[in-house]
Amino acid sequence: MTFLRLGLWLLRRERASGEWRVLLLALIIGVGSVSTTGFLGDRIKRAMSEQGASFLGADLLVTSPRPIDAWPAHSLRTSSALEFASMVSRGDAFQLATLRAVDADYPLRGEVRIADRPFEADTPRPAQPPPGAVYADQELLTLLNAQVGDAVQIGEAAFRIAGVVVEEPGQLGGVFGFAPRVFLRADEVEATRVLQPGSRLTYLYQFAGEAKPLAAFGDALKPTLETTQRLIGSREGVETLRGAFANADHYLQLTALISLLLSVAAIAIAAHRHALRHYDQAALLRCMGATTTQLRTLYAVQLLTLGLLGSLAGVAIGALMQQALAGLILPAAVTRLPSLGVAPVGVAVVSGLLALAGASLPALMRLIRVPPLRVLRRDLPPLPAAAWISATVSGSALLILIAWYAGDAKLVAGFVGALAALVVVLVGLARLALVAGRGVQKISYGPVRFGLAQMLRHRFDSTLQLGAFTLALFLVALLALVRSDLIEGWRQQLPENAPNHFLVNIAPHQQAAVAAYLAKHRLEASELYPMVRGRLVSKNGIPIADTLPPETRDTNTLRRELNLTWTTTLPANNVLLAGTWHGERRGPEISVESGMAERLNLAIGDTLGFESGDQTIAARITSIRSVKWDSMQPNFFVIFAPGPLDALPASSIASVYVPPDATGVLPGFVKTFPGITVLALDKLIANIEAVFAQIIGAIQLLLGFLLAAGMAVVVATLLASLDARQQEAVLLRTLGAQRAYLAKGLWSEFIALGVLAGLLASLCAEIAMALIAERLFDLPLRLHPWLWLALPTAGALLVGMSGWLTTRHITRVPPMQSVRALN
Amino acid sequence: MTPPDSAQFPNAVVAARALSQQVPTADGMLAILSEVELAVQAGDTLAVTGASGSGKSTLLGLLAGLDQPTSGEIVLLGQRLNDLDEDARARLRAGRIGFVFQSFQLLPALTALENILLPLELAGRADARERAAHWLARVGLAARAGHTPRQLSGGEQQRVAIARAFATDPEIVFADEPTGNLDADTGARIIELLFELNASARTTLILVTHDDALASRCQRRLHLVAGRTQEAALA
Repeated sequence: MTFLRLGLWLLRRERASGEWRVLLLALIIGVGSVSTTGFLGDRIKRAMSEQGASFLGADLLVTSPRPIDAWPAHSLRTSSALEFASMVSRGDAFQLATLRAVDADYPLRGEVRIADRPFEADTPRPAQPPPGAVYADQELLTLLNAQVGDAVQIGEAAFRIAGVVVEEPGQLGGVFGFAPRVFLRADEVEATRVLQPGSRLTYLYQFAGEAKPLAAFGDALKPTLETTQRLIGSREGVETLRGAFANADHYLQLTALISLLLSVAAIAIAAHRHALRHYDQAALLRCMGATTTQLRTLYAVQLLTLGLLGSLAGVAIGALMQQALAGLILPAAVTRLPSLGVAPVGVAVVSGLLALAGASLPALMRLIRVPPLRVLRRDLPPLPAAAWISATVSGSALLILIAWYAGDAKLVAGFVGALAALVVVLVGLARLALVAGRGVQKISYGPVRFGLAQMLRHRFDSTLQLGAFTLALFLVALLALVRSDLIEGWRQQLPENAPNHFLVNIAPHQQAAVAAYLAKHRLEASELYPMVRGRLVSKNGIPIADTLPPETRDTNTLRRELNLTWTTTLPANNVLLAGTWHGERRGPEISVESGMAERLNLAIGDTLGFESGDQTIAARITSIRSVKWDSMQPNFFVIFAPGPLDALPASSIASVYVPPDATGVLPGFVKTFPGITVLALDKLIANIEAVFAQIIGAIQLLLGFLLAAGMAVVVATLLASLDARQQEAVLLRTLGAQRAYLAKGLWSEFIALGVLAGLLASLCAEIAMALIAERLFDLPLRLHPWLWLALPTAGALLVGMSGWLTTRHITRVPPMQSVRALN
Repeated sequence: MTPPDSAQFPNAVVAARALSQQVPTADGMLAILSEVELAVQAGDTLAVTGASGSGKSTLLGLLAGLDQPTSGEIVLLGQRLNDLDEDARARLRAGRIGFVFQSFQLLPALTALENILLPLELAGRADARERAAHWLARVGLAARAGHTPRQLSGGEQQRVAIARAFATDPEIVFADEPTGNLDADTGARIIELLFELNASARTTLILVTHDDALASRCQRRLHLVAGRTQEAALA
């Protein structure tokens, strides 16, 4: 009990010490970082769980690209809906929307909330609008500049907007929703004439009832479903979505963990210095009769108190920042998320304590092993604690932490491996940079020379500071580049008059009229490609899934229906890699895209079986070609020779270049062909950009923590060298150096460090960006001169400020006072 | 050889027999102390003198149980130290042994009063605060209770250290060159204080010094030459 109290008492008396402050600050930053993502992840997960069945709108949902007519016998309540994309227009304004045609019973569970006017109070109502009317969400109203009561055109039918959709089952807010939502009556779809053979449709069949009959129905239904049809229970529905979310959440959490680990470095340095400065105290306490157990209690209490204080303060910061993060990634749903949970507090506090333990135990273990004889002989070091014990203790604490956030063993190994590689690279680069610094030092003079000498002399500290700051600046820069470069680069590499609009869903009877319309307005269009939707089912007579190793069976290519086309000329931007192009030959021949061939292990000569509706088509692979997917031409995985698909219902697709001064043509086109979907590439890119911006904004917020942790490392290492610096400053001042000389020396040192870190970060960012652009996106190499100016400036400012604030007082204390303090 | 024990030295609070200490060096083992024999009775004052490197501080450390001898036996407060591990020796010291050091060894974060409070707290004394204030007053620093060591002169710091050594009513006080870091005048005043407090508390005082004036204040003197004793009883 005494030592508990004594520990707290000594802690209170030493609370102003630099080491404790840095340790606490680093801990707050680290825990703040992981609790920010922890809180938000928890809120989203709970939002999903709490919605339960209302999330699906049913207890059981079956989705299918084709209507299902035959069902196992059941006594459940049912509802069905049809979802498809179509243009919605009003006057000259038009917009692609996701339409859901529903019956009177939709939804079976949960509710759809409709408001009479935008931003007015909403009420739960059936999703089925009155005859001749639709419900649309606020986004569509804004895009079409429409109001409730206005008429809109969908295909060949006109509808009145009867209300604003505020909430619907399964919706957490417009996270990555590309097209606004419209509800219409199932019995009015026909009148729009939008549905064409080959249109991408999703039939939604919903069931609700008691658990037992539901389970029996599900069991009976499962074996009858095809791979493109899915059965989702309310629990599985939430689980599926949660699984998808958990992946994204994982990576955000790992980003947050990097800040925590950098904080661990700062904590370790601060704890080491604390131990060094407390060897005498520990020896004295031993001398006065304290046993090892008592000392252990004393230091454990101090550590635990600091750990709890720092973690709780970090949690408080996390609670504030998670709201900002929510605003970035779920702007529409922020107000609908459940309030803060308690569980993440526990997780964050335990993370904080683990990080603190891992970082400071080796230092404290040495402290406990200080021999009492040190009171007489100051040169006696602590007894060497078995190095493997402290290494094991802190190693496992950190490993537990990483495992906890990374989840599975593979990710842990990957993370630890990448971290180790990063540390090696950063240390190597930092060492090289310091060698370069030596050259600069030789040609500099006066205080600058002195400052640089300091940086080079504290080689370990400088390496650590450089490494930490380079890492932080590099990641911040890389994100900024990814955001600006990739999309910009992609845009720029498109040829001047690359197609910028897709025309989808062209019915066979419209083909001539569309071609004439485009010709009349002098618009350059690609060839018209017929599209038939079909599912790949077999290879050489064996079910395709059975030909693949189990881990690759779950590929999207097998789960969804493919767009199949036929043509005689090899499309531009396609390059033949193997076999011969079928050309004018008619018959069961196909050309397959090289990526798909690789994924599904296909070769020339293989015969593939496809199912389209109730038809089966078999064809032999006679060529394999590469496709330039970003060419903005209609691109296909599978191209047939003319013949086999002739009899199947098809609609066509084309891409067209609309010059900026000719966009006025489009409203006329939409009016003339209301059933044809016009996809504007600009809007598509803008959508991708917006999603990118959301994700990157969220990560950048977390990188703020990383920068702060980097500054904590700088401060901690400086504190560790403060005594030696003070001694030198005293000597220099006694020898006649003025304060300004010392100040200039310090500034030179920190600015040099910051500039070096900035330069290294620029180098890393350029290399990483070049690799990403070339390997992943096939973009030309591009250098960023501004980066080489911005990062060193930012580094000089941040390192300079934190360094100066930590050390400035050594230039201010009168030499006499310093001499006494050091004695 | 029969070990020294309480029976052998009925009134001895500290006793050593055939005490030797060797340390490894590059050229083999170096003998710091050789065959030291010693018995100090309760209430005695003993000065350990000798030139630098003669083994004075090593002997002090061994007698106080801060270190283990290479060979020989020590009995401290009736306990054979050879049988005790580091923690048991610490428990034996708690509240019963006081220390005064050349470099004062005050904790810089604590005030003068709190530095005296520290051993009292460690010994779990209920009246710790009152006793600490009492002892601070005894060394004439009542007015400086809230000052930290940095705000005190060397002499004042050593007075705080002396108050700290006596505060727990120890049976033995070990002092290692208590005036070594002080000027002559201050040193003399510190010696006065040390012996005055020692006399009134009837504590056994063992001090290490190379200062003859200080040594001459003790009842006995143990002179070390190259780790061997040459004891001379002082009048």
